[in-house]
Amino acid sequence: MINETLYNLIITIIKIIVVLSVAMLHVAFAVYFERKTIGHMQRRLGPMEVGPHGILQSFADVIKLFFKEDLVPASADKPLFYIAPVIGIAATMVSLSVVPFFNGFAIANIKVGLLFLFAMSSLGAYAVILAGWASNSKYSFLGGMRSSAQVISYEVSMGLSLVGVMIMAESLNLNDIVAAQQNFPTRLYIIPQFIGFVVFVLSAMAETNRVPFDLPEAEQELVAGYFTEYSGMRFALFFLAEYIGMLVMSSVAVVCFLGGWGLPGFIYSIFSGSSIFISILEVICFLFKLYMCMFFYYWVRSTLPRYRYDQLMSLGWKILIPVSVFNILITGTIKMLVQ
Amino acid sequence: MKKHLISHEPKVVSLPDEKFSFKNLLKDIFLTEIISGLGLTLSSLFKKPVTKQYPHEKKEAKQGFRGLHALARRPDTGLAKCVGCGLCAAICPSKCITIYTYEDVNHDKIVDRYELDILRCVFCSFCVEACPYGAIVMTRHYEYASYSKEALFMTKEKLLKNWDDYMSDEDALVYFKKYWGPREEDFVGHEGQAVFRNNK
Amino acid sequence: MDIKQMPAIDKDTLKSENLVLNMGPHHPATHGVMRLLLELDGETVVKCTPYVGYLHRGVEKLAEDMTYLRALPLTDRLDYISSMTHNQGYCYAVETLLGVEVPVRAKFIRTMVCEMSRIASHLLWIATHALDIGAMTVFLYAFKEREFILEQFEALCGARLTVTYPRIGGVRNDVSQEFIDSVYDFTNYFPSKVDEYERLIDRNRIWFKRTRGIGVITAEEAVNYGLTGAALRGSGVNYDIRKLFPYDAYDSVDFDVPIGTHGDVYDRYRCRMEELRQSNRIIRQCIERLPKGAIMTKDAPKVTLPSKKKVLTSMESMIHHFMVITKGPINCPKGEVYVATEAPKGELGFYFISDGEGKPYRMRVRAPSFVHIAALPKLCEGGLVADVISNIGSIDIVLGECDR
Repeated sequence: MINETLYNLIITIIKIIVVLSVAMLHVAFAVYFERKTIGHMQRRLGPMEVGPHGILQSFADVIKLFFKEDLVPASADKPLFYIAPVIGIAATMVSLSVVPFFNGFAIANIKVGLLFLFAMSSLGAYAVILAGWASNSKYSFLGGMRSSAQVISYEVSMGLSLVGVMIMAESLNLNDIVAAQQNFPTRLYIIPQFIGFVVFVLSAMAETNRVPFDLPEAEQELVAGYFTEYSGMRFALFFLAEYIGMLVMSSVAVVCFLGGWGLPGFIYSIFSGSSIFISILEVICFLFKLYMCMFFYYWVRSTLPRYRYDQLMSLGWKILIPVSVFNILITGTIKMLVQ
Repeated sequence: MKKHLISHEPKVVSLPDEKFSFKNLLKDIFLTEIISGLGLTLSSLFKKPVTKQYPHEKKEAKQGFRGLHALARRPDTGLAKCVGCGLCAAICPSKCITIYTYEDVNHDKIVDRYELDILRCVFCSFCVEACPYGAIVMTRHYEYASYSKEALFMTKEKLLKNWDDYMSDEDALVYFKKYWGPREEDFVGHEGQAVFRNNK
Repeated sequence: MDIKQMPAIDKDTLKSENLVLNMGPHHPATHGVMRLLLELDGETVVKCTPYVGYLHRGVEKLAEDMTYLRALPLTDRLDYISSMTHNQGYCYAVETLLGVEVPVRAKFIRTMVCEMSRIASHLLWIATHALDIGAMTVFLYAFKEREFILEQFEALCGARLTVTYPRIGGVRNDVSQEFIDSVYDFTNYFPSKVDEYERLIDRNRIWFKRTRGIGVITAEEAVNYGLTGAALRGSGVNYDIRKLFPYDAYDSVDFDVPIGTHGDVYDRYRCRMEELRQSNRIIRQCIERLPKGAIMTKDAPKVTLPSKKKVLTSMESMIHHFMVITKGPINCPKGEVYVATEAPKGELGFYFISDGEGKPYRMRVRAPSFVHIAALPKLCEGGLVADVISNIGSIDIVLGECDR
């Protein structure tokens, strides 16, 4: 009995270490991928110096940030200032635990996975507000205020946009949602739930503070928003949290709308013998979809201007929320009729 | 105001207020303009970048570039052409040139020191234009950034060395022929002047 | 403390203070070292006070101690984005003061390079304006064409930014055939590049929301505030010095003056975008009509530097050479002159008082940026913090010129 618990614990810890280290590495290359993509979209080269085609640039940046002086403003609220980035990184990293990367793999396969994700991303807003407030800087403060309002509003539309998926899958468990998509005729929920998908993508952009909704850190207005006063590794933690947040949001998009790890049906029938091979294919499929989502983030960033604060709020409350409620209505009605 | 001067018609460029139409509504819903913008950035992704990787890939300055200064040498004696008339110092807007001269035993004017503070120079090339002898020139060399002030404080010896280093014979020839002005034909014009030629 | 003992809060006397936000002098979007003191109520700007002078170098005072020719490089550093137009404005003013007539070819060359400079300036403006509003890519697309223009300047006169190319009585050196050919090629494809920038922002709904109806200033107010250039034309005032008081070759080229109607950020943006195309037209016409002939006037030997050949052969020229360089133009007329030219930012005026010596008794620069900054409170108050950024971008200021 004890042995079994111990065994489970060790397996879980190994899983956590694997997922965290993969996520960290992923951030390093996601940043590189972003800089390269946006660079080429702007007819530049992006990083070129560290390693072949600058592939090690992120590691150089991390080393640089690590050795930078850790500045704390004299008038900052020190305990909160210290704890804010930790909350931010913890909240986003914990949300990784429920994401199923391939069939049956999730650190915590809990029944309310989707709800858990929402809870954690709300907690991330807490870090932003605390950081903005604790820095005792007006720019940070404004950034924090903007962010709290933005995250709270878009939390609503994001939640509502996923209700359609929940209705169709009849579950909040991410594994079940993917499995339900496998049995669905189109194999992807994006086709019936297109409105939900669009609303989700927009909300996810706002939730992770990406262009065109990057107001909390709008460089041209608020210098760097809530993390203006942060430097060195504390800054890096915020940075990491933002990119892992993007990873989580893209994963949710993949899991809920793009079929998760699910491969086209004929592949299962061809390779029905070797389950390991199928698993590998599933991981590749998942990552491919994930990177397509990330690419879309970067693509939008290199194209669009930024909304103004009040316009962002009115977009959220006046358009996205009604549209997602409408979507729920339609989905529910059809579901009822079909049953 | 004279009448003929205000007779021109302006061109109104502001957009007319959009009327509601089904087409505009469709455009609004399907984000046409945003998709067109996304298409432009996506197509740029596959075009060749225009970046030059500077320290690895150097761009040579164009002929006549106003770079680091040099003092010209006389071809016959190898000494500086400068006679110490002080016109360059007189025209210099940033007052960065200082010339010290003295009279030797033969009552000749000898240029003792010629000092030029690069850190103050604005690279207007007025010293070149003022010099009647073409004694001071500007080379095409532009990579002379330094950590020390001394390295950027030019003495006569350093300036002469710049001439040896950066003013090859052809460079000097072109430089004096084209960029050391005003030239005689600038006041009258000449046959070979550049005009529009219709290539098509 | 027991909660019952706490004094009751009277809602009428409960006061909230405005947040005072110091934007600049080191801020990514103030286009230099401008400082704005913003009083915010939430995100709404209640009061906006610009503070200038962080880049003051005393150009006007310095010029009093320099001959007319010697002070010319100082004008490069006023608006370092388009130093060509500032050189030209200065030279035109001095020529008016001294009564010097410029040869036709030099006029055409000046007009051409000034319009190139205007394009470069407007490209930098659209680049930073779009970047301020968040459209990052326009920045780099616009810099590609600007780079070409700067390279042409380098080939023309040996400097990319601070050109010092126009001279009193003409230009520094003649244009080469390669220059003419490559610039003409450039004018062939440049309008399509403008379309490309517009494709990213012009009809974009976010751009609309950020610029339309923002920073509105009526025609009357704009005139009262002394706005000029595209900032005035955006409000619908048909005022362009190139048309009304033509100088150099502007009376012999054909171009339109774009005006807006709403006087908001978007119309000012549209005006400048159209000016890019019109400048392109002017450059084409200048090249097509470029005559042969002198590029420096020979009628004013006491003002211009004589040719190098003459300095060493003719006694009179040598004396002129030494006199012009050390003492300035010989036999300067006494009097005052104010001459305005159309710089990319607006009306650039040079005012000289001459007391008959070779240097100005007083030089005063009417810098458009300085006047435009004075209108910022009018544009910004009542808007949001984000609108401040759009407004700063839309009046197109450069602080070197403002602070002088």
